[in-house]
Amino acid sequence: MMLVRLAHLWKTRKTERVANQFLARSLVRAAPFALLALITSMTHLAVAQSLDYETYKKTVEPIFAKKRVGHARCVACHSASNNAFRLQPLAEGGSWTEEQSRRNFESVSILVNKANPKASLLLKHPLAHEAGGDEFHSGGRQFLSKDDPDWKAIALWAGVTE
Amino acid sequence: MYLGLLLALPLAAGTVRIIQTNSAGDDVSIIDPATNKVVGTITGIEVNHGAAVAPDGSRYYISNEGRSTLDVVDRKTLAVTRSIPLSGHPNNIAISKDGSRVYVSIAVAPGAVDVIDTASLEDVKSIPVKGAVHNTYVTPDGKYVVSGSIQGKTITVIDQKTETPVWVLEMDRGIRPMAFLTNPDGSTKWIFVQLSAINGFAVVDFATHKEINRIKLPSLAPGKSPYLYGGNESHGMAVTSDEKTLVVNSRLNSAIYFYSLPDLKVLGSTEVGHSPDWVTLTPDGKRAYVANAASNSVSVVDVASMKEITRIPVGEVPKRNITAVLP
Repeated sequence: MMLVRLAHLWKTRKTERVANQFLARSLVRAAPFALLALITSMTHLAVAQSLDYETYKKTVEPIFAKKRVGHARCVACHSASNNAFRLQPLAEGGSWTEEQSRRNFESVSILVNKANPKASLLLKHPLAHEAGGDEFHSGGRQFLSKDDPDWKAIALWAGVTE
Repeated sequence: MYLGLLLALPLAAGTVRIIQTNSAGDDVSIIDPATNKVVGTITGIEVNHGAAVAPDGSRYYISNEGRSTLDVVDRKTLAVTRSIPLSGHPNNIAISKDGSRVYVSIAVAPGAVDVIDTASLEDVKSIPVKGAVHNTYVTPDGKYVVSGSIQGKTITVIDQKTETPVWVLEMDRGIRPMAFLTNPDGSTKWIFVQLSAINGFAVVDFATHKEINRIKLPSLAPGKSPYLYGGNESHGMAVTSDEKTLVVNSRLNSAIYFYSLPDLKVLGSTEVGHSPDWVTLTPDGKRAYVANAASNSVSVVDVASMKEITRIPVGEVPKRNITAVLP
């Protein structure tokens, strides 16, 4: 009887061991995929959360008030327009208040495609059509290429990593 | 005929310039139609929209959408000498025949035409009209100021002397650019009216205040693709000084069409750049200058042959243009 119990215990433990070994091997095999999935989901999460206000205020918002030769400033049109991109009015020579910047941030964030930052309206609309931008922007070709430092700054903030 | 004579006289003694605003720029291009080159640039006016010239040639007036002002420009130095605050965000402008008033479309609700006194350079009156105003004109005889509203779908005709509205026509669609045909005595016979979302125009009888015709522009030839960006389907018209031809822009077709007057038969067409937004004619009516908003250029078109002669690069998103006859 004792021998039978010992034999059963050995078999059970062996089954557990086999099962554990199988689980371990499976985990090892699946780990890269799981890790990849985790990284991907974390990246999306990071992108969604990467529309950082402080970065926006420091590197992006000044572009909207920047004067480019031959161009109207973004704010000159977008503080008076009724389209999707609406900036707060900016007094001549002045700067936006904290509250205004927060409002601008909210408005601009809507124009970022968080799942596919490269497809963001904010990036495509002011970019010259010849450089991959939209066919027509009533505010003109603000950025002639993706090499424009200001376009790059906006792209980086929006989550474009390439 | 009256308009033709009026424009032909100063042409003999003066210089002609095409004033081309660049709506997404901070500059205005000045074109010499003798050479078809940009010979001057007015700088420092962001989101410039409408243009007018003083009859004595001393000044240009440019509406500034960025600052909601009417900017006064010295014609010789091309410097902005005064910015006149307006009652609201402006669009296009017009000047009285004697140059004493500039009328400014106020493109925000409830809608108005601001009156600028050019002696004092002050905004002396704001005439209320129904709906935000897109374009304002002075009729060829100088007796009326005519404003059109997209949102209000109305044409408001204002007596120039009293500066009060005398009649209003409500239409079924928003009012876009207009052009005028005169009677032999110089009075206004018809208003040609482009309307929202129509690739064509309506004809309004000035005497009866009624729409009497609506013309649809020809469809694109097979194999041609419409251009679906940049605004209303048909935007910009002009009547030649002999009053025999109406020139009509089609944004949708990236082309301009020529109609005989007064029978309104299609004479032909020619392709221009993308999104033709406005057109002005030389005083002799022989050349049309078409602002191609999406191509950053101006097409020069020979009216008789209906052929594009050349395309002049200008600033960002050129829209309104005028012909300035400078004494």
